[in-house]
Parts: sequence; C-alpha cells; structure tokens
Amino acid sequence: MHKVLRVENLSKASILHEVSFEVAAGEMLAVMGPSGSGKSTLLYHAAGMACPSGGRVWLGSTEITGLSEDEKAKLRLHRMGFVFQQMNMIANLNILDNILLPAVQANKGRHRKSRAELTDKAKRLMEQLSVSGLEARSISQVSGGQLQRACICRSMINAPEILFADEPTGALNRGAAEEVLEALGRLNREGTAILMVTHDSRVARGCDRILYLLDGRLCGELRLGKPAAGTEKWREEQVNKWLSRLGW
Amino acid sequence: MIGKLIWNDAKQNKLLSGATVFFMAACAMLGALTVLLLGGLTGAIDALADRAQLPDYMQMHTGDGGLTASEADAWAQTEAEIARFAESCADVRQWQVCRFLNLDNSMITLGGQRLSDSTQDNGLAMQGVRFDYLLDMENRPAEVLPGEVYVPVCYRARYHLSVGDTMTVESPAAAGTGRRTLVIAGFLRDAQMNSMMASSKRFLVNEADYESIKESFSVGNAEAGGAASCTEEYLIEFLLRDTANVNAFEAAYAAAGLPANGPAITRPLIRMMNALSDGTMIFVIFLVSIAVLLIALICIRFMLSLQMERDRKEIGMLKALGIGRAALCRMYLAKYLLFSGCGALVGLGAAFALKAPLERQIRELYGAPGGGVWTGVSALLAVLCTEGVLLFYIRHFLKKMEGLSVLEALCPGQQSAAPGREYSTGRSAKRRVENTARGYGQDVLIGAVTAVCVFMVLVPQNLYRTVSAPSFVTYMGIGEGEIRMDVRQTGDIDAAALRLAAVLEQDTRVEKHALLRTGVCAAVLEDGSTVNLTVETGNHGIFPVRFSQGGPPTQEDEIALSSMNARELGVSVGDKLRLGAGGNETAYTVCGIYSDITNGGKTAKACAAAGSGPAVWSVLYVSLKETVDREAWMEEYRRMGADVIDIAAYVTDTYSQTLEQLRLAAGVAFGAAVSVIAVVVLLFMRLIVERDRRLISLRKALGFTGRALRRVYFVKGMLPVTVGIIAGLLLGCVCGGQLCGAVMASFGAEGFRFAAASVKELLTLWALLTLTGAAAVLIGTRPIRDVEACECCRY
Repeated sequence: MHKVLRVENLSKASILHEVSFEVAAGEMLAVMGPSGSGKSTLLYHAAGMACPSGGRVWLGSTEITGLSEDEKAKLRLHRMGFVFQQMNMIANLNILDNILLPAVQANKGRHRKSRAELTDKAKRLMEQLSVSGLEARSISQVSGGQLQRACICRSMINAPEILFADEPTGALNRGAAEEVLEALGRLNREGTAILMVTHDSRVARGCDRILYLLDGRLCGELRLGKPAAGTEKWREEQVNKWLSRLGW
Repeated sequence: MIGKLIWNDAKQNKLLSGATVFFMAACAMLGALTVLLLGGLTGAIDALADRAQLPDYMQMHTGDGGLTASEADAWAQTEAEIARFAESCADVRQWQVCRFLNLDNSMITLGGQRLSDSTQDNGLAMQGVRFDYLLDMENRPAEVLPGEVYVPVCYRARYHLSVGDTMTVESPAAAGTGRRTLVIAGFLRDAQMNSMMASSKRFLVNEADYESIKESFSVGNAEAGGAASCTEEYLIEFLLRDTANVNAFEAAYAAAGLPANGPAITRPLIRMMNALSDGTMIFVIFLVSIAVLLIALICIRFMLSLQMERDRKEIGMLKALGIGRAALCRMYLAKYLLFSGCGALVGLGAAFALKAPLERQIRELYGAPGGGVWTGVSALLAVLCTEGVLLFYIRHFLKKMEGLSVLEALCPGQQSAAPGREYSTGRSAKRRVENTARGYGQDVLIGAVTAVCVFMVLVPQNLYRTVSAPSFVTYMGIGEGEIRMDVRQTGDIDAAALRLAAVLEQDTRVEKHALLRTGVCAAVLEDGSTVNLTVETGNHGIFPVRFSQGGPPTQEDEIALSSMNARELGVSVGDKLRLGAGGNETAYTVCGIYSDITNGGKTAKACAAAGSGPAVWSVLYVSLKETVDREAWMEEYRRMGADVIDIAAYVTDTYSQTLEQLRLAAGVAFGAAVSVIAVVVLLFMRLIVERDRRLISLRKALGFTGRALRRVYFVKGMLPVTVGIIAGLLLGCVCGGQLCGAVMASFGAEGFRFAAASVKELLTLWALLTLTGAAAVLIGTRPIRDVEACECCRY
C-alpha cells in the first residue's frame, strides 16, 4: 500500500532515539506513551516543524528533513493538516475566518479560487463536522468540542494527505471528545491518513494501529485493523491488555 | 484576511496601536517640521538675496570720506581706481559704491523713542543703483519720496512702529536746531543687514534728504553743536561671475591696494549670519526630533517584544499551519505599516499646521518662506525616511523571530536547537544573559528614555543660560568688562579715543579700563599674496578674551588670531605671520588663538600692528568699582557725548533674536520632554502590568492586596526614572556642553563651555521631572486594581 509518511531512525538528542515507522494511505495510527516519553516531539518532528538531530522523514516521495523552512511551510500548508490539544485559533478572527485562513494563504497561482468558492468549501466542511451555524461566532463563544471540530475543519480545508493530531481530545470533556473522535473517524473513512498522539486508550482503540513510545524509543506495536460495528468492546480489551503488558 | 486581522488586533490592543501611532506621529511631525522650517528659512534667505541682488563681495571703507569738497575730489579719484580694477578683473560682473551715513544713535528718535541705548550702527542709505536693493514688504525695491523714510523691519516690533509714524534726526546737544523729521512710509528688508547679528542697520531715504542731513550734521558743522555727528562710510560692492572665486577675488582686491579701511563681507558670510540668527530654533527642533525618533524606536522595540511574547503561540500555530516566514513577516509589517502610516499622516498634517506660526518671524524678516513644492516634497521624504527607519527596525526585529520553531512556540519547554547545539555552554550562557537582559530590559528602557528627555531639557536651557550670561562676551572676542564705549562717528577717532581714555584715567570711580583700536592691515601669506586683517591693538591683558590655545599678546611682536582666521591662514600658536605692505613688513609670532563670533569671526589682536591704516573704530572697556551706580555713571558719560553701552545689554541686543528663539526652543523642549516622560512611563507601566497580568492575578489569589502590589510596581517604576533623571542631568551637563561646543566651534566660538546651572535650578528640574515620573507611574499602575484573582485560572 502507498505510504503517506515514512520516518526512519528519527533522533532528537536525548528525547528521541532512532524511531522508525510508516503511515499508509487511509491509515489511522496512534502513538501512545507516558508523559515525557517524546510523543509530541515525535509528531512535530515527523511533520517537519522542528529539526531532528538524526534520521530522515518522507512525505510521500518527498524527503522533508532536507528541506528549507519555507519549503516545509509550503508542504504543511498544502499537504498536511494539524489539530492541537489547545486548539490554537486566532482570537482576532471569527470561526469561519479561522477555518479559511490556510485556504486563503494557499489560494495563489493560476487555479486561484474565488472567495465565495472557498467559503462554500469551508461551510461544507463545517456541516460535515456538525458545526454549521457558528461561522460568525468568535472563538470564545463556542464550546470546547465545537472549537476542536472547527479546528479539524481548518486542518482539512486544503484537503491534506495526512492529518497530525496532538492529543485532540486532551482538553475536552467526555461528550465533546466523543464528537471529535467521531469527526476524525469520518475523515479517516473518507481516505485521510491520520497520525495521532494520545494517552487515552479509548481514543486509541478507534485507530488501525498503535505504537508505544517509552523514553524516546518505540517499544511495541498493536495492529487492530479498521473498526467495525460491535467490536468496540473487543478493541478496548485488546488495547488494555497490550498496555498492561508494556507496564502502562 | 490580513486587513481583518489588523483591524481586529487594533481594536483589541488599543494601547499598543495608539502608542505606535503616537510615536510615529511625533517623529514624523518633528522630522517634517525641521525640513519645512529649514527649507523655508534657507529658501526665504536665498529668495531675498536674489531679489535684492546681494553683492558677492563687499568691502566697507571709512576714514577719508567725502564730507568736505577736497575729500570728495579725492574720493572721486579713488572711485576711478576701483573702476579700473573692476574692468581689469574678469570675474567682476558689476560693481557699485553705496554710501552709508552713519549717525550717532543719540541723534535718532523713532516713533518718539530715542535710540541712545541701541548697540547697532544706525545710518541712512540710498537705494542701490545697479544691485543691493533695499526691499519693501512685498520684496520689491522700495521707492522713497522726499520727506519719507523706510525703517529696517526688525525695528517694527521692537519700537512698536507703524506706517505714518515719524523718525527725527537731531543733535541732542543742540536741540531744535537743524532737526529733520521724516515720515515712515514703510519697512524694508535688507538682505545684508536684516539679522540683529549684523552690527549696522540701513534706513532708506531719498537722495535729497540724504544730502541735506549729511550737510547739516557732518563733523564740525555748526548745526551739530560740536557733539553728536555723522560720518560717511562706503560700501564697495561687487557682483562676481563665479561666486566660488570669492576668496581669490578678496586677495586680488587687497593686492590692488584699494580702499579697505573696514571689514570685508562675503555673501556666504551674510547667509550664515542670517541662518544663525533664525536657525537656532530649527536646530533645537532637529535635536528634539532625533531624540524622539530614538525614543520611539526603543519604545516600539519594547512594545514589539511584548506583543511577540503574547503572539508567540499564535505565530507557532500559523507556522504549523504552513504560513511561511515571508507571509508572517508581511502580516506584521502590514500591521505596523498601517499604524505608523496613520501616525505619519497625522504628524505630517501637524507639521504643516505648526509651520505657519513658527515661520512668523521668518515671514516678517525675509518675506514669504521659500522652498515651495520642493520643501513639501522634502518634508514628505523626511517622513518616508522616518517610516523607513521604523519599518527597517521592525523587519530586523521580526527576523529574530524567524528563528523561533513551531515546537518552541507551541511547547516552550521543548528543545529545538540544531544537532550538537543543545548543550553548548556558550550558547546557553548567551541565552541566560539574554533572558536576564530581557528581565531588566524595560527598566533600562525607562531609564534611557528619561535620561534622553532630561538631556533634551537641559541642553537648550543651558545654551540659553550660557548665551544670556555676561561671560558670553568672551566668545565674541570681547573681554569680560562691564561697559563698552565706542568711538566711531568722529573725524579723528584716535584723538577722540585718547581724550576719553584720559578722562577715564582721572575718574576715581573706574576700577580699570582699556583702550583698543581697530584698524585694517595687510598680512603677507607664504605664497607672497596678501589678505586684509582686522587687527585690534592695545593692552589685551586687562580684559582678556577666552583663548582656546595660548594667551593674549604681551610683546610688540606677538599677535593672537581668532580661530576662524587661524584656520583660514593655516597658522597655529608659535607660527610666524608677516604684517605690513610694500616691503615694510614685520614678523609677528602667533601667541594665542581665541574665540570670536563677531565681524564674521575673522579678527586679530596685537599690542601694536605694523602698517595699520587709520582707525576704523576704537573701543574702551571699563569696569567700575562695586559701590558705583553704573546707570548714573553711564548717563553722565552719555551727556558728555560718549557712546556708552552696558555690555550685558549689548549681548542681549546683538543676540536678541537668537535668545528669543532659544527661550522658545527651551520652552518647547521642556514641554516635549515632560510630555514624553509622562507618556512613555505611563505607557510602559501599563504594558508591564498587562504583561504581568497573570502573575498579578496569581499573587492576588495567594492573598496579596492590590495596594501592596501597586506599591511594589511603583518602586519598580520609580527606580529607573530616578536613575534616568540623574544620568540625564550628568549627560546634559557634560556631553551637552561638548555637543554645543562642536556646533559653536564651527561658527568660530572655540572652547565653548556651558555656564553652570545653579544647584537650586538643577534641584527644581529634578523635582519637576520626578513628580512627572511619579504621577505617570501611579496612573500607569492603576489597572492593577482591576486584575481579578481568578484570572490566572483561565489560562
């Protein structure tokens, strides 16, 4: 199967030690591990947001470790999406403008789209993720779950090949977390590869595969396959057993 | 999208946006105002000089005037010699001899006020025939009818004159006899003698009146009553084809042995004198604008660093989303371009609005300020230049932010340095230093801004105090005496001066006095060419001037030169200089170099000068015993017919325009500095409170009261303000003096030192500025009251 992301012997001083893995097209991969194990560092280095001290990373056939900052920024804008634990939206813009921001930035060149087309696209995404009607609201006027789903809309506006999510439900209550997971699951089913960092086994059980990171080293891998209806209980048991074997 | 971001940001951060607009407006206004006023002044001076057809070279000559028939014949021969010289000299475009009837000041009454106390040489002149026109208030050559007079415009406000008032010329010693009354038909602009620094003033009269007054009041004439009198002087004027050759022409004139019994003046010298009289205020505004620009830059840097600290996460997020460095930079630059652009427009508008009232004096003295469109374009360029400096600075600051990685921005605890760098002790030490510096950064900035403001207040004030102090005469090439007695309008200057000296010798109320005679003699240069030197002879040890090198001449073969002369002749202390002409030369040793800003700064002092012509004028300096009533003594000598001047009044009179401007500039600088201290300290304290909001909230949550926290911030704010005031006072007294010294040296006043401010004055200034600072800190820390204890939990 086509590999969207390939990480090879990625190292970062004392935080990461020769980590290697791949993310296939349409795959949803979770990285778990205790606090301070290097999960977020791994995610940011895999996304080209920081310079590793060793190893290589490919996005499709493009090696991103050798690229300049501007080239990496371009790659992130057009081919990657990001969802952060703390949402990180711009306080001075409303929800719709926040979602549109990467689209406006990417909308250059011969195939430039009109503002109306971009807005339509953003509104379709908002409808898919059940946040339509919030366009004109400021970020302080919506709930945590709604805001995180709006963040997912923003990350999907340029139709990326892969979506990176750093503890996407970490700052949410149970109900809101369920909504966000549902939204991510839907995107994945539609073909978007997702690399997610989490310490929540309930979040991880919805993924195809889970990697376990301890002290910057990969210590285990659990393959669960695509979730099917009625398998939630079985998947949760599998994840819990695997984690307890690893000393979680 | 960027527009929306900027607009929303401006709405949310009114303080930061407002501060940026304010500082940019202040910089732009001062920069544009400097250019507008400077352009206006130089343009007006040049326009007046062009309309009046100012001569390129003018030699004043006195002595063998044409008051009697035989003298008139002799002068006619001299004029023929001048004509031959002018024809033989290819550089001369046109030439003429203007006559100037120098009247004793006690003979003139203007609008009912006698000019006895005037320190100017007032006299009558006729309209120039070929050039050197005296212009009316429309800058057209004035046409004067018999019985009318045009009065120098600088006297209009001084003596509250208006058209229709009268001017009378009479001898006070023979009141009623030979009295001439002239009606003031208008006011004139004299491109040569407009400035109060020019020691003569020309009143324009009709030829018939000129001849009649000359006839009536010439020395020895019965109507003059034997006391007050007039002498005729000649202004031998030349227009040159190539104005750059004026020095060569001056040498050629001296070599031709033509009349030269008086100072020689060139067009650049007149231009400088005019600019010096009216440019002081512009110079101070320029200094203030530089100071405000520096303050604006450091304030904007502080605001940027605060904003960047606040926007750190947002920048990280934008980078994570793939917004490139260039786009980020554009976004921030666009924001500051908008704010500073608004400020620049406000500043430019304010500069144009302030231009008119500040140019009132220029308009009065020189006519419509020149420059026109080009001055406007230059002002716009000055504003663009200020804008450019600011944006370049912001760009430079943003470049530093480019190094910030997404990981660092979003997860501040994470390391993101390049391989091998993480544990570099050098780098971490540098970072530690940077962090420490950032912690104290705002204190250093408040201190620095306060120090610059105090400097801004102190320099013009000290300059004003120095120029208005009695000791300032020592920079003018005059000894520090109390009273000056001029001997000019008389047939035999030497005899009259000696008679007066003999009277003083007998006067027991006089503590000391000195007689100094000024004549013109030729100095022979190394290449054999000669130049005319105005040499003051006598005992220079009694009232010594300020010497920057060496001392006064004590031997017959010693000469001291003014710094401008020394520079021009290329000699220094110990060098030899030959004086005299026609093979009868005497070698003099240069014994000292002194300060002089009168007569174009080109003078010399000796005990005796070889080959010196007839006296151009003589001056007696007098110091009275302490118990003597100076006013009564001066009045007594005036009644005897002597031209007596109080030296303090002389300085005030000569520099009245400059002093008035300096006083205005000192006032403006004080107002500007106090406002800047108030605004900057208040702004910084508000920003610091805003930055520390979470910390303040946390402390409140832990039980600190708002009052206790305000006390802490008050001390934190006042400490740099106090240090800044002390540093500013020291800087202003030490470096300010040196800065002004450098400027004054270029005008010929070497070794310039500030007249020291009294402890009381310094303490008053300190108290005023400290109170301003304290009020600003108190108001700036007010928002601490509104910070809620629960705010820290929301982050």
